[in-house]
This record gives sequence, structure tokens and C-alpha cells, in this order.
Amino acid sequence: MSVFKDYKKELMEAAHSERISLALSRAIKSYRSNTNAALKKFPHTIKMAEEVREIKERAIGHMLELAEQASKAIEENKGKAYIAKTADDALNIFDRLVGKGKLIVKGKSMTAEEIGLREHLEERGNEVYETDLGEFIIQKLGSRPMHILSPAIHVPKEDVASLFSKITGQDVPADISILVATAKKLLREKYFKADIGISGANVVAADTGTLFLIENEGNIRLATGAPPVHIALVGMEKLVPTLGDAFKVAEVTWRYANYTVPSYVSLVSGPSKTGDIEKVTTYGAHGPGELHVVFMDAGRSDLARDPILRQALYCLRCGGCLYECPVFAVTAGHFGDKYFAGLGAVWAARLTGDLEKGASLAYTCLTCGRCKIRCPMKIDTPQMVIELRKWILEGDGEITPHS
Amino acid sequence: MDKKSKELIPPGLAYLADNIISKHNILGDSKGGGAKWAKDLKLFKKSETIFFAGCGYQYASDLESLSSLIRRMDKSVVGAELPMGIASFQKKLGVDLGGMYRKVMARGSDSDAQPLRDAVKVLSGFGIEFGYLAEDEPCCGALLHYVGLRKEFTSKARELHKKLKSLGVKRVISIVPSCTYTLRTLIPSCVEGYDIEVRHFLEVVVENIKSRELRFPREVKVTYHDPCQLARYLGLVEEPRQILKAIKGIELVEPEWTKGEWATCCGGGAGFEAVFPELSHIVAVNRTRELLETGAKVIVTHCPGCIMQLKSGLKELKVDDVEVVDLAQIVGMAM
Repeated sequence: MSVFKDYKKELMEAAHSERISLALSRAIKSYRSNTNAALKKFPHTIKMAEEVREIKERAIGHMLELAEQASKAIEENKGKAYIAKTADDALNIFDRLVGKGKLIVKGKSMTAEEIGLREHLEERGNEVYETDLGEFIIQKLGSRPMHILSPAIHVPKEDVASLFSKITGQDVPADISILVATAKKLLREKYFKADIGISGANVVAADTGTLFLIENEGNIRLATGAPPVHIALVGMEKLVPTLGDAFKVAEVTWRYANYTVPSYVSLVSGPSKTGDIEKVTTYGAHGPGELHVVFMDAGRSDLARDPILRQALYCLRCGGCLYECPVFAVTAGHFGDKYFAGLGAVWAARLTGDLEKGASLAYTCLTCGRCKIRCPMKIDTPQMVIELRKWILEGDGEITPHS
Repeated sequence: MDKKSKELIPPGLAYLADNIISKHNILGDSKGGGAKWAKDLKLFKKSETIFFAGCGYQYASDLESLSSLIRRMDKSVVGAELPMGIASFQKKLGVDLGGMYRKVMARGSDSDAQPLRDAVKVLSGFGIEFGYLAEDEPCCGALLHYVGLRKEFTSKARELHKKLKSLGVKRVISIVPSCTYTLRTLIPSCVEGYDIEVRHFLEVVVENIKSRELRFPREVKVTYHDPCQLARYLGLVEEPRQILKAIKGIELVEPEWTKGEWATCCGGGAGFEAVFPELSHIVAVNRTRELLETGAKVIVTHCPGCIMQLKSGLKELKVDDVEVVDLAQIVGMAM
């Protein structure tokens, strides 16, 4: 039970932190009012969410076929695609593509977090910059994300100011607009010096091989547009059959992530090209001349076979459930591992292979079910958590090893 | 439970689950100890329709004492693993821990069963005929399901079904939300041929509410806390509100956002309070605060777990002019 004891200690420290409770109570309040307003303005979203649930239910049963179809489409677009069976396979592909001593700019990706991609590349002598502001703060703090969309949700502006003062060697005041400008200045030149840009994807259309990248900051556009090479890591659960399906998934995702519409959605289907001189297609015009997409299974196909736990793969990562969890409200991502709260338990136990951590998280869920009311996919997290407890205690099924 | 299960289940939960498996109730009380509340009510034992009282209300004061003890221990350096360790050690020695706490710490424990007495009064007042199995009432075994003990829960569910059948039970009026969900949904999903009709107390009350006038003894502003299992598992959101609105003298005021299916959990669920007693208390205090913001003088709810949690929330916040009252008591008082 030592994993449980350590975990409980960390969890209780978080629960006693007034800063976490304060930051979260503000975030919850604004999430609810923003989401309500967004859903009121675009009421069709609720019906569309039901449609997306059906799309996901079908797609999850055919992930491998969809990955193959998407790979073919990407290759036809002159990109390169890879299917990684395990997390290690994915890391090996990255090693081959990246090599050593490279400068890399990276967009926020929970899938990259899942396999420890940044740390892995750094260990191999690459310089990696997280470009999402929250993720950049987390990286510089040497901490880990505490929310899937707002990784630095637990860090107040005063802490960011002292961190940025340390980095710049100048006195940066705790003024949010100055902090944002400071980060922009620190990162700006990296985009253009970088050898490689790395991103995830929110959803991928298998028929056209199109990656959807949803964001507000503009860092992903720069990170995937400025460097000569773009590599994307995609969990296979992100695949849907058609471009039309993908638009629906994207819209529902951002709306439940509390946006009427995000500032940017990039659709990437291949490398940059031009035919403007004598109609001769030439790659690497203004954007990257190379696009590589790594589709990763790492336990997802196995999980898809479980009639109850497969719901974890329907998750759009909008983060709405976290704002409704009464435990998350006082502990933030300390109630989590790579992913958080009830879903995090399933991910830890079944996908990253950490059974004891998964068990600890599973028993931290109140099974109160408010997350399910919020979830656009109506994922029954209490049902999953209880099924996971049973699965853990019975020890039926093989644990998918992480590495 | 095998060794592996015991290692993976957090200690507090393992203790409660073990009680249900070996002693047939959540506290490991000796058989029938929970049925005392109904002794002088002269209820029939044999009936096609029975009132299912459940463990929660019957053992409310014991659970309250136990959880406040665990909480104090949890705050200290030793952590909750130790008192639970002591508990299982004492159980091995044959010490009746539940009974012991009742004697030592529970003052006026009869009042904890008041919601049950009132529920009986209300049902009888509406002219509904029913019996009560008293010491023959089986534990629904829900906690085993929530702990994750599939086999143990299924065998408990089969036992329960057999027992109710052998006693000629055809219909159940159940009051504890978790027992109701278990009897209505969980057990039928793992026991073949289960055809017992299960209704919740509130569903029966709503049906009969127009048959007589209900007036609360005084004018009072109340708020209502939806128990998770009642609102989100059983879908009983409108019923309690219809009932409260039908009672003259009661004004219902609710939190703007956290009501109905959006209500915040009280922090006691699926044995959570036994695993993370201190965290459970923090969640309880947060929920109590949300309810107090309505300005109500009475917090009405309808679950023994929620009552315990919200009471501890009021105590922590040092609020002594607001009380937590079960909905069955409110209806009982208004009759």
C-alpha cells in the first residue's frame, strides 16, 4: 500500500492548500458561466453532442482500420504516417525522426504527456520548448500539468512573476498582460530557429488524413507552421471516419471547453507545397516541407474491447467533468496521474499500466456522477470506476505494460 | 476476501466490506441490533409489501461516532490505516466494535431512527399497508458493489433475493437512496428471475400527496440537498420538490447552480468517508457552505449519509441556528 500512502499524503497536502481551492473555485465559476453562455448561443451543440457520441462509439471499434485509412490519405498528401503499437514504439519513431541536438517547439499534447515525450527528447540531448503558456510555466517550474486544458490552473500570477523574473534576470511584475508579453518575447525567436515543431491533434479525419488543432493562443499555428518539420503524435482514439464527422467533434469539443468559438482551428493534411512556378509541385513553401504523423495504440485497442471501460476512449478532452468533480475542486490534478479524476484512474490502470496508482485513483472517486451530467459524451464515470475496481480486484485481463 | 483484494482495497473500506460479508450489516453489529427502532410500532412482519429500512438510518449514530473517530485519527500523524487496523484486530478478538461505540459515544441514538419512524407514520397516514421484516431484513450489500467485490456482491444479491422470495415479498418500499438503487437496478442485473417491484418512499408520497392537507407547525425557509443516488442514480429530482412545495408553511430556497442533478456531493459516497475521512469532511463543509448561502434555516435532505455529512459541516462552520432534517421527518411533522 505504499503507493496509496504516498498518494494520499500528496492529495491531502493539496486539499489543505487554500491557493488550490481559491484558484479552482474561480475557474469553476467562470467555466460554468462561459459554457452556459456558449451553449445558449449555440443550442444545437447538445444535439450535435449526441451525434458525436454515436460517431465515437462506432469509430472506437475500428481504430486500427481508421488509422490505416488515415495513414494512406496522409501518404497520398505526401506526408509520412506511422502506426505505433506501444508507447515505446512511438518514442522510437520519434528518436529516428528527431535524432539528437535539435531545437524543438512543442504545442500542448496530453498524449505526449502520457508517454513522457518531452522528457524523453530532452534526455537525448534535444532542447524542447513548450509553447502553450500554461505548459511553458509548468515546464519552467519543473512541475506537472494539473488540468488537461489549463495545466497551470493551480499557479497564481505572483508565482508566475517570480518565475519569469528568474528566467529573464529582470524584475517582472505580477501583471497578467506583462506576464503574457514576457512569454511571447521569450518564445518568439524559438519558432523560427526551431528544427522541428511537435503537436498533438484534437481529432483526425481518416478519409482525408486531416488533423484538427484547436487553440486560442496561436502558439500551435506557429509551432506547426514555422519550423521545416512538423511531427504530430495522435492517440488512435482521436480518429473518426470523415471530415464531416471531425468538424462535429471539433465543435462539440471547444463548446464544452467553454468557448463559443476558439480563435484558431488549424487543419493540417500534408506538408506545405506550391505549384506557382511552372505548375511544378514543390514541397516546403512557407510551411514545413515534411509532415510526420504517429498514430499510437498503446493499449487503446485492448481497452476498446471492454464493454464498459471503452467509454474512456470517447472522451473529447474538453475538461468539463473536472469542473464538476468535488474532489478535483480541492485537490486539482493531484487527483490524477497522466489524466485526471475518474477517467485518470482508467487511464492509469489500463493504459499506462500503473495498477496501484490506478487503484488509488479509483478509490478517490466519490462516484457522485455529476461529471456524467456535464459530459457531452455522457461518459458514465462512476460506472467505469466501479467496473475498474472490480477489474483490479479480480485481476482478470492482462495489464498493458507501459514500456 | 482474498489477500490480493485486501492489499488493493484501501483499509477503511476493507473493514466495512468485511462486516457486510461476515456479519450481514455495515457495522458488524450483532444480528437484529438495528431493528430496535420499530419495536413499539407493531408492524406486521409478513406482508407482500414491505418497508425496507436499510442500514444507514438504523446505524446512523454508530456510523457518525465511528467516522468522527476515524477523522480525528486521520488528522493525526498515524493516518486512517491504523484505526482500521485496530478495528479488524478487535474484530478478530470478538469485540463488537459497533455495539461498543453505540454504548460509549452515541447519546440518544433513538433520534437517529426518527426518519424511519416518520416514514412509517407517513405511509400509514396515507392508508398504505405494508410490513417490516425487522431482524430478518437483509443488507442490500451495495457497499460490496462499490468496493469492487463482484463475486461477493452477486452472492449477497442472490441470498437477498432468495430470502425475500421465501418470505413472500412481492413489493418493496425502500427509503435509503443507495439501497433503493441496489434493489431496483443493481441486483436485477446480476440475479436471474428477480421480479420484486421496488419503489422509493418519495414516489409513494408524491402519489398520495393530494389526499390530505400538509401543514408544517411553523413558517420556515428550507433548502433542499439532493443526495447523489436519489437525483442522479434514481432520477428523483422533481418529487422531493413537489412534496416540499405542497406543505404549507414551508418556503423552498435553492442554490442558484448546484441543485437537482447539478447538486454537489456531500462528500460521503461509496465508502469514501472511510478511505479519505478528512477529505470527505472538507467536501462536506464546502457543500454545507453552498447550502447556507441560500439563507435557509433548515437543510432538508433524504439520505442518512448526507445527513451525517451536512451535520458535520454545520458543526465545523460553527453554525448553530440551522438544522439538518430528513424529508421524511418534515412530512411526518406536517401531517
